[in-house]
Amino acid sequence: MKRKRLKVQRKVFFVLVVLILLLSMLNIAKAKGLLIPKQGPVDVKHKVVDLQGMTLEQKIAQMVVVVGTKENYWPWRNMQLGGIHLFARQTEHIFNNTIIDFQFQAPIPFFVTADLEGCVSPFGFIRQFTPASEVDTIEEAFDKGVEEGQFLHKLGFNLNFAPVVDLKDDIWKCRSFPGEEKQISELAQAYLTGLQTQNVLGTAKHYPGKTLIVKDPHKYVVAAEIGKKDVFPYGYLVEKGEVKAIMVSHIITSGEIDSEGVPSVVSKKVLDNLRTNFNGLIVSDEIHMLGLKRFYRSVDEMYIAVFKAGNDVVLNFDNDPNEIYRMIQVVKAAVEGGEIPEAQIDASVTRILEAKGFTVR
Amino acid sequence: MISERVLFIINVSLGLLSVLLVLMFLGLKLPTLGQAQYALDKEEPVCVIQWGEESTIHQDIDRCCLQARQQFECRAQSKDNLDWMCGTDERLQIWLNNKAYNYCKQQPYW
Repeated sequence: MKRKRLKVQRKVFFVLVVLILLLSMLNIAKAKGLLIPKQGPVDVKHKVVDLQGMTLEQKIAQMVVVVGTKENYWPWRNMQLGGIHLFARQTEHIFNNTIIDFQFQAPIPFFVTADLEGCVSPFGFIRQFTPASEVDTIEEAFDKGVEEGQFLHKLGFNLNFAPVVDLKDDIWKCRSFPGEEKQISELAQAYLTGLQTQNVLGTAKHYPGKTLIVKDPHKYVVAAEIGKKDVFPYGYLVEKGEVKAIMVSHIITSGEIDSEGVPSVVSKKVLDNLRTNFNGLIVSDEIHMLGLKRFYRSVDEMYIAVFKAGNDVVLNFDNDPNEIYRMIQVVKAAVEGGEIPEAQIDASVTRILEAKGFTVR
Repeated sequence: MISERVLFIINVSLGLLSVLLVLMFLGLKLPTLGQAQYALDKEEPVCVIQWGEESTIHQDIDRCCLQARQQFECRAQSKDNLDWMCGTDERLQIWLNNKAYNYCKQQPYW
């Protein structure tokens, strides 16, 4: 009897060990995003993309920029995301190899983005750049654009989240150009021209302004009064036609630009107003900020709000591929449920594909 | 030779582990050590931006964390009640106390 019980216990033991091994493998595969289904092929011929041939999931995925890490190489590629943002790395070689790997045989290449502003830069291990605060003349601003553009292009980047056109930088002291709104606008314009001669798109940020000022420590949701001067650089750059992307911040604004009590990045009014004269890319600031998160009961509500407001490119730096996949599914359900018009998604994807050099039909 | 009693205890433990793994597969997230450290630390999170000789407190810890993560590597280093220095440039550095650093570590992009 005792021997029989021992035999049963042994069998149970082996079954449990096998079960644990299987479950462990499944958990590892899930954590690495390997269970996320691979998207079908996209119809791309001679740089022409058939938008109607893309699934809704593929279109939403094109609007998402994530952190480009080696660990998430397969899920990002399988989901056919729109872009990867790279954090600091030790050498040019590592940057270059990462980008080559991601772009290899991608039907629609990724946007490869960085925050190279000058003093704020992920390339500190490799090279130092002139801070925007030390640029005084148009020539210097143009040269800075060319220098940074050459460097980024050589590594494989194609979209830079710079220049900062906030009028004042009370926190970092080095991220804004010097002077008043007119001079800042002219310097930003020259910088963009220089940068974009090197086939790297620039992004004016952070619309509608006043993001680099000292804030009340007890407020997680930050508000600011925006004046005519704050938005002057955007009007100037849009009129000149050089700015290809504008990044919108999480600040709740009143005054010249009124976000009506919600963070600018989710304010349809703010984005529609910006869109009036601007047909470039509207880029959301990174969405994992308390200023935005605390505004919603759930992250799903936040995801829908960010897309619904009209952002073309949404920065979600969550390292968990399953969460990125879930965001796409949540937004997809919102589009299918009529909460977000599919025509709006189509318009955003068209702008993204055109910025990537494709013709959309 | 393992006794029946010991084997029974091992099997119960493995059974519990399997249940845990199934729950994790279904989306259960276990709290991390960083969260415990953060919760137990009663200090206020502090982030200081140092540009050359100038130091400014950055009130927006979230933005501070994101910049620290994307631009720099952080290492334990003490200065004026701050415990971590993030930076690759001698001119621009981000200083965090332990509370802020543990908060940053919990962020989905860290």
